[in-house]
Amino acid sequence: MVITALALAGWVMAASAPGPGGDAPSPPLPDTLPLSGRAVIERLTFPPLVFEPPVALEYEVGGVRVYHLHDPALPLVDLFVQLRGGVGHFPRREMAPITALPSLVRTGGTRELAPDSVDLRLDLLAAQLSVGSGGGGSFATLNALTTTFDESLALFREILLEPGFDREAVEVWRGQELERVRRREDDPGGLAYSEFNRLLFGDHPVGWVTTESDLAPELFTDERLRELHSRLFCRERIQIGVSGDLTWAEVEPRIRSFLAEWPSCSAPLPDPVHPQLREGPGVYILDKEVEQTTIILAQPGGLRQEDSEEYFASRIANHLLGASGFSSRLMTRIRSERGLAYGASSIWTTPARWEGLVGAVTSTRSDRTVETLSLILEILNDFRAAPPPEAEVERALEEIAMGWVFAFESAAQIVARRMSYRAQELPDNWLERYLEGIGEVTPGAVHSVVRERLRPAEMTILLVGDARQFGPGLEAFGPVYRMHPDGRIEPWERDPHPLRR
Amino acid sequence: MTTFARRLTCLIVACAGFCTLPAPGSAQPPTLTLGAPELPVREVRLENGMHFLLLPRAGAPTVAFVAHVPVGSVNEALGSTGIAHFLEHLLFKGSTTIGTSNVDAEREVFRTMDAAHDSLIRARGRLPFPDSSEIPRFTERIRILEDSARQWVIPNEYDAILSRNGARGLNATTSWEATEYYVELPSNRIELWFALESDRMRNPVFREFYTERDVVAEERRARVESSPGGLLYESFLGAAFRAHPYGVLPIGHMDDITALSRREVDSWYRRYYGPNNVTVAMVGDFDPDSAAAMAERYFGSIPAGETPPPLLIREPEQRGERRVELVHDAEPELLIGWKVPSGYHDDAFTLAMLANILVGGRDSRLFRRLVRDDRIAASVTAGTTPSGRYPGLFTIQAVPLAPHSVEAVETVIHEELARLLADPPTPLEIERVRVGLEAARVRRLTSSLGLAFQLVESHSFWGDWQTTFLTQERMQRVDSNALVEAVRRYFVEENRTVAILRREGS
Repeated sequence: MVITALALAGWVMAASAPGPGGDAPSPPLPDTLPLSGRAVIERLTFPPLVFEPPVALEYEVGGVRVYHLHDPALPLVDLFVQLRGGVGHFPRREMAPITALPSLVRTGGTRELAPDSVDLRLDLLAAQLSVGSGGGGSFATLNALTTTFDESLALFREILLEPGFDREAVEVWRGQELERVRRREDDPGGLAYSEFNRLLFGDHPVGWVTTESDLAPELFTDERLRELHSRLFCRERIQIGVSGDLTWAEVEPRIRSFLAEWPSCSAPLPDPVHPQLREGPGVYILDKEVEQTTIILAQPGGLRQEDSEEYFASRIANHLLGASGFSSRLMTRIRSERGLAYGASSIWTTPARWEGLVGAVTSTRSDRTVETLSLILEILNDFRAAPPPEAEVERALEEIAMGWVFAFESAAQIVARRMSYRAQELPDNWLERYLEGIGEVTPGAVHSVVRERLRPAEMTILLVGDARQFGPGLEAFGPVYRMHPDGRIEPWERDPHPLRR
Repeated sequence: MTTFARRLTCLIVACAGFCTLPAPGSAQPPTLTLGAPELPVREVRLENGMHFLLLPRAGAPTVAFVAHVPVGSVNEALGSTGIAHFLEHLLFKGSTTIGTSNVDAEREVFRTMDAAHDSLIRARGRLPFPDSSEIPRFTERIRILEDSARQWVIPNEYDAILSRNGARGLNATTSWEATEYYVELPSNRIELWFALESDRMRNPVFREFYTERDVVAEERRARVESSPGGLLYESFLGAAFRAHPYGVLPIGHMDDITALSRREVDSWYRRYYGPNNVTVAMVGDFDPDSAAAMAERYFGSIPAGETPPPLLIREPEQRGERRVELVHDAEPELLIGWKVPSGYHDDAFTLAMLANILVGGRDSRLFRRLVRDDRIAASVTAGTTPSGRYPGLFTIQAVPLAPHSVEAVETVIHEELARLLADPPTPLEIERVRVGLEAARVRRLTSSLGLAFQLVESHSFWGDWQTTFLTQERMQRVDSNALVEAVRRYFVEENRTVAILRREGS
């Protein structure tokens, strides 16, 4: 992590800003307090916070980028291998095998070791090892005691590079996924997110919903799995992070050995497909007899994660609208003032490679569905109607600036963040640039991005709940459709199943 | 970071070196003689009985705070279930000066509002039928009054003050036996925590009361009514515990939640939230001398509260298997529980070890048999529930893999438990768990917030902060004979409760 003097100075200034009572010097507090609450809090001042954030250093070993941060506090070492490329680069028929790959690398043994032997060795080394996928790629992590790190690393390398793809492990994975498919309608919240992605993203990896035919046994042949492995678990796709109880002098030869036989990629990956997001208003009802309706609504936001005034303004707008917990507009009005929901938050995604979504999500009792949806739209329209008060924006800036210190709580977190920037093709100084960019956001900039990008009237609305309880009025939000759990959509018939009891 | 971790390192290194890769099945498990880590915890006990555990550690300039009150749903009476959890929500609403511009005006409206609520409760409880004409009238009256009181409310000001000072993770949790309030702050802001926390201890105001009650009702709909697992667990506990309050979820029954009064909550607060009943842990980058002085300055003058009454009720001995079935729009699930002693009993460590032997990893007995070999379940978990102070349940939960039935899964679980008697855990099975426990002794020290929870919970449960760090050591001493004896003693049919979730018509 590189923090420039400017950004750090800004952060220290923010961190040492006066408390709620302003910047007037306060008299010392007596030993015991006759007062409490606001009178005391307004008199508090705070000392400056002096902190030199640890920096993860970047190296190159055998052509692979490696990030390292030494932290000897505990006798543990974390190793993080990030592999770029995943489901998004492949056609639909490869979705399930690509999704399975990390799990099968972990559970399918190695060419030399049966799955049982791998598990036994990991247990006796007390090593924690995981292989998974996310963020458009795959990852593998190892957390080991310093004393057993070498043996753990050797086993880690063998697992990642020489997978056994044991047939029993493949069948266990398939069986578990088939069961997940059977159970996807059990959890209304999970079902809602899955169906909303299908609605908005359509035939795109984000919108794909796994079905039984995706899990056909012939898609998981040993040959196919090995081919996919050779395209993803290869040298050109990886970067490595190491944190914990080893110095770079100790890490470097170990990583060099770890990478020695790491093969080159067998073939390049095609570019990921960009989604064609659904546009235009519509109310989609997935009728399910539950006591609470999950409400999700959004439209394409048109913004990416990038160094632009509009992007930074969108981050503050999101904070104010529904990403800052209790104090956000959605939580204050839906939960605190009306008691309509336990949680309510905004959606304002800004992926690095394509434009994201903007909208909101909550859950409410079935018979308050229309009322809650109306309130959300009212909050969104209010947000568009006028610039936020300066104090509201100022509060958001303070929250972000003051909380920045939590970005440095662990060495593993610092290393992972730097790797993440690289994977998203963001500059190495993105952290400081982000802070600077956020610090320059004004109420006018927030209003401008909200007016431009937040369009409640064009939102796709999904309701997963008991339609008989919703009551009348949904037609006001756009054409109403029935959505089936298999993705079929048809106009909502008024009879025999009206939107009222 | 501090030297305590390095001291622990020496102990770990010795064990880890010893334990690494013994010849399978050949080595006698090592005898371990580890103690609690030498954490430099400073204890401060104020005259009013409030207890502070202060653990400075270097690193990022942040401090984690956990305030622990040993009161939860086990302390509730029928008719008032959910009150401990509801109070937890209300304590974020501010005080006589935070969250309000005119507390006196608010209180005036509270009186009228609460009188309307008393009338509403009478209308709801009227026999032989609720008074359906009066219920909406009083409900609307309460809503109008609460809205009128909102003119003086500064919404979520407690949260806003902390957030603009960099707070992270502000939240609270209520279980059967404890309510815990936690947050992390930049190190230079610790005095803000003392000022705010002492203020809400002295002067809480339960504003936005009826609106927040609706929020809790929504929380219950999300966690229980809309969740197959939540519904099954509620049925399971209700069947297993007929007298002890472990039989009710901490969120409470819906009809109780929606009838709780401000008067009841106030009385609950006064009974259980005296400083003498609160333990605070601070872990992070701070000066313990300053923190101790702030503890005295901010909390020292708060008078001690009532001594909470002990919980005397004990679950009567179970005299036969209980089975309960839940019909719901979801795929089947299975829960089996056996009555076991509290967390204070020596067997608690044996049972924790047993859970690891059964489901702790891909080669554990139940995972191997159900998920890998027979492939009749998608997952299986086990552990002691619902909490630890009173006798509870050793619970096994499994998700059948279609087309296999819950009955088939249950049969295999019973077979595997019986096999523990005929084919006791081998030294290697035990060794695998012991090595993992050893590493867990280090891993549990990584997070400041995690450490703060461990300190207060150990202090509350064991009476000191150290004992929690000995639990893994006690588990490591469990041998095969103890495991077999525990299975023989507890895993019997008469002591068993089985809950099954079925889809209607299946």
